[in-house]
Amino acid sequence: MTAWSYYIATLTVYFGVDVLAALALNLQFGFAGVVNFGFIVFQSIGAYIAAVVVLGPSSGTFQQYVFGARLPFGVALLLATVAGAVLSLAVGLFSLRNIRRDYQAAILLIISLIATQVVQGYVPLFNGSNGVTGVPRPFSSLPLSLQGYQWAYAGWVLVFCVVAYAVVTWLSRSPWGRALRAMRDQEDAAASLGLNVAALRLQVFVIGGALAGLSGGLLVEYIGAWSPDAWGYAETFVIFTAMFVGGVGNYRGVVLGVLLVPILFLELPRFLPQVGYPGLMDSVEWIAIGAIWMLCLYLRPQGIVPERRSLARRRSAAEQGEPA
Amino acid sequence: MTLLVARDLVVTYGGVRAVNGVSLDLAPGESLGLIGPNGAGKSSLLAALGGQTRLAGGSIVLDGHEIGRLPVYRRARMGITRTFQMTSEFARMTVFENLVTAGHGAHGASLGRVVLRRHETRQSEREVASRAWSVLDRFEMAHAADLYGSELSGGQRRLVEIMRCLMREPRVLLLDEPMVGVAPHLVEKLLADLRSIRDDGIALVVVEHALEVVQELCERVVVMALGRPISSGTFDAVVADPDVQAAYVG
Repeated sequence: MTAWSYYIATLTVYFGVDVLAALALNLQFGFAGVVNFGFIVFQSIGAYIAAVVVLGPSSGTFQQYVFGARLPFGVALLLATVAGAVLSLAVGLFSLRNIRRDYQAAILLIISLIATQVVQGYVPLFNGSNGVTGVPRPFSSLPLSLQGYQWAYAGWVLVFCVVAYAVVTWLSRSPWGRALRAMRDQEDAAASLGLNVAALRLQVFVIGGALAGLSGGLLVEYIGAWSPDAWGYAETFVIFTAMFVGGVGNYRGVVLGVLLVPILFLELPRFLPQVGYPGLMDSVEWIAIGAIWMLCLYLRPQGIVPERRSLARRRSAAEQGEPA
Repeated sequence: MTLLVARDLVVTYGGVRAVNGVSLDLAPGESLGLIGPNGAGKSSLLAALGGQTRLAGGSIVLDGHEIGRLPVYRRARMGITRTFQMTSEFARMTVFENLVTAGHGAHGASLGRVVLRRHETRQSEREVASRAWSVLDRFEMAHAADLYGSELSGGQRRLVEIMRCLMREPRVLLLDEPMVGVAPHLVEKLLADLRSIRDDGIALVVVEHALEVVQELCERVVVMALGRPISSGTFDAVVADPDVQAAYVG
């Protein structure tokens, strides 16, 4: 029972982190039409920054990294969020220029590939392929059992999810969110109605990047290590698949998609008998993720829970404060 | 009084001069028709006025301000808006949302205002919604307020585009083939709507292949061929022009 409780608490943390990532991606893609195929890079910068600023100064022997410091974990999360936003701003400024969306997507995917190579190849940055490890756990001073700690951290992550859910939902329903959807549907027409689409695209990219950075920070403080193995470009496609399965443009759908794809589907093989050589199931999983995405696009592109239609309500003269 | 003055406009695509030294003036409430055979440069000229195409030469002055180098959204904020040859409704937004999005204008939809001035945002949301209902009533489209753009007929999509432009309270409205895709029995209704818009003092520039529409709607017509204006004047005068007949017949 204890093992199960530990396992479910761990899954809850992963679920929360993936929900944060999916909310960010849904804001970017589902509402604004920005195809961020480099999403994982922004989650990773958050993870790396959150790790190095709590690890203490780099010893240069066991592991090398930049920005070594010993800051409180709350500050580390804040810096992770800022790092995601700043990197998004820098990348967005040149990748989201007035070029076609498919080209933007291609540029972002290439950035993702380049980023992995740079981090692997330039060891002083974030300790190369080995990555950073030994990240101290937050809340370690609290008198909690191992299991209690797991659930406390899961609760901590879920608090961020609830707040992020409320914020992105509010923003998406605002006039700004409507402007994003207009840009998504018809960029030229949106501009011809006075919307500064370049600014809108950059804003949504930076907000999404900040959320991605936060999700990375929360994850690394839980698992205690981060290396390039954790953020291959394909990880971005898991979140995209979750979004398409659940429902693009619908945050409830996206949460459902996270539950179904990165949690239930990717955990399922643990409970199946081993087939073939070790590692075969992992490879099959990746193929299946691609297949699910394609099936979704063919059979139900709107996802399980489609984007909600916002019904107009005519206000009476009295409600508008006018004389009847 | 002149509202819009365009002088010696040049638009090039590679080595091709799609618009080659076109000038035109426009007064408030005036409607100008642009006609000519395919490839004459009419849509390119419209795009140059709206900002969708970069000018290679010439100047555009709106109400005394040079706007020829401004991006599309800034021209729209100054009062130039347009419809497109292929209808451009926001397909996954309702008709009402299409209108309200346009109505929020320059600053209403800005992130800063939405976050920092919530009270103002709520107020402007109410005001814009009220205006949207008025426009829907005027064009007898209130029944379709909750339909998605993608669920409309061709004629309704055209109307949504035009209503959306009106929500911006434009001074110049550029219409690129507004009757394409409109059912024949609705053409007369759309024409009446456009006349009433013109009568509100909004200047219209209309690119249209259906010459009877141009004849009905436009006081002045410019005929283009190979990027240049070859004739201008009233509809009857330009169609009688031998150069125009030659351009159309070949």
